[in-house]
Amino acid sequence: MPSTRTWLQAGGGTVVAALLVAAVVQAVHSSAMWRSNDPVGECGATSGGAVVAAQNVLHASTGLEPVDGSWDASSRVAAEAFQAYNGLPVTGCVDESTWVTMRALLVGVCDPGFECRGPDHRVRYWSPDGARVTYFAENDCDWGSVVPPGVARSPVSSEAVVALSRDAVTEIECGG
Amino acid sequence: MVTTIDEPRIRPEWLLGGAVTLLGAIVIVVVTLVLGAREEEPVVAPADAADLTAGTCAADLPQPHWVPEAVTRAVVECPSDISVGIGRTTAEDHLGTWITYPLDGEVNAETLGGGPGPGWPADEVRAGAHHPASAVLYVAYPGSSEVSDELSGDTVTVEWQDLPESRGEARVTRVDNNGYGPVRVEWTDDTGSYLLLSTVGRTPTGSAGPTVDQLLRMADSVGAQEG
Repeated sequence: MPSTRTWLQAGGGTVVAALLVAAVVQAVHSSAMWRSNDPVGECGATSGGAVVAAQNVLHASTGLEPVDGSWDASSRVAAEAFQAYNGLPVTGCVDESTWVTMRALLVGVCDPGFECRGPDHRVRYWSPDGARVTYFAENDCDWGSVVPPGVARSPVSSEAVVALSRDAVTEIECGG
Repeated sequence: MVTTIDEPRIRPEWLLGGAVTLLGAIVIVVVTLVLGAREEEPVVAPADAADLTAGTCAADLPQPHWVPEAVTRAVVECPSDISVGIGRTTAEDHLGTWITYPLDGEVNAETLGGGPGPGWPADEVRAGAHHPASAVLYVAYPGSSEVSDELSGDTVTVEWQDLPESRGEARVTRVDNNGYGPVRVEWTDDTGSYLLLSTVGRTPTGSAGPTVDQLLRMADSVGAQEG
């Protein structure tokens, strides 16, 4: 008959193993998210967190406003312009190749290897009228997009980190 | 017989007309010379591109000493500026300093007037006529010895390229969309970690932005005169 101590050791080991598996799964999911992200736009989701992320990049690259998580005619035109300029097939669909192109535009604000708090990546386009900047957060949570003030519109808040992989606009905490 | 020969007389109106004509000619010549001089005034980048950041927080940082001819200015963002933009407390000593080099020329100019929407003709959008301004972004992370996580994807190519002048090598990441798309050049040295980012853009009149070779030459120039 196993003793209480044995049960406790087994239980503790199980918990530790579960945490390790969860961490690995999250890390894999986090790094792969930009490729495995669901399509957005003409071929996929027309609302939700992934739409917020796509609109966030399109704001910086084309001046799209507002960013509200709802795909509309302006979002489609912005996606097409982004695709054309980047040599992609012009479909209005934010598919895998478009996501990867967007991902390559993200630049860490902190030293590579250092986990800073809050929004830790930026997409920045210089403009004669002033740079357009949007933020993303990775650090200790899933990737999330952070929409700049004046660009976000309800249900998106400019103060929030909006999860990319959720169906609806869902705020997440990235404590760092 | 006495013959009287009238002496030729210069009539005042002739003098007035001549003077006005001469004055007009002088004005035309001067205006032409001035305008011509303005048109031909060369916009020359400084011999050392580091001069573009003189007097800023980036002045003492390792930075490109060479930039493409289309670059005539630099816009610097200091860590304190970036910290304010983030709106959260972040250790500034871990933030990078960003230098943006806008590229001059019609093909590199921003054409986003009014923002995207149904007002943009579809054929223009498909041709790449509506695009952001071209620029090269350089970020220096002092004290870091790593580069960012490697990207992957069907259209992503990653290769390490030698930087002969600085005796190092850089990781070149391209999202190669039929010859266009973002290009990242990243490397480290004894003092920090660095990134160059730009986009080879497709426009109706040709490619916008720098070439990959130009980005590599910029990267190589950072360490070339540091040692």
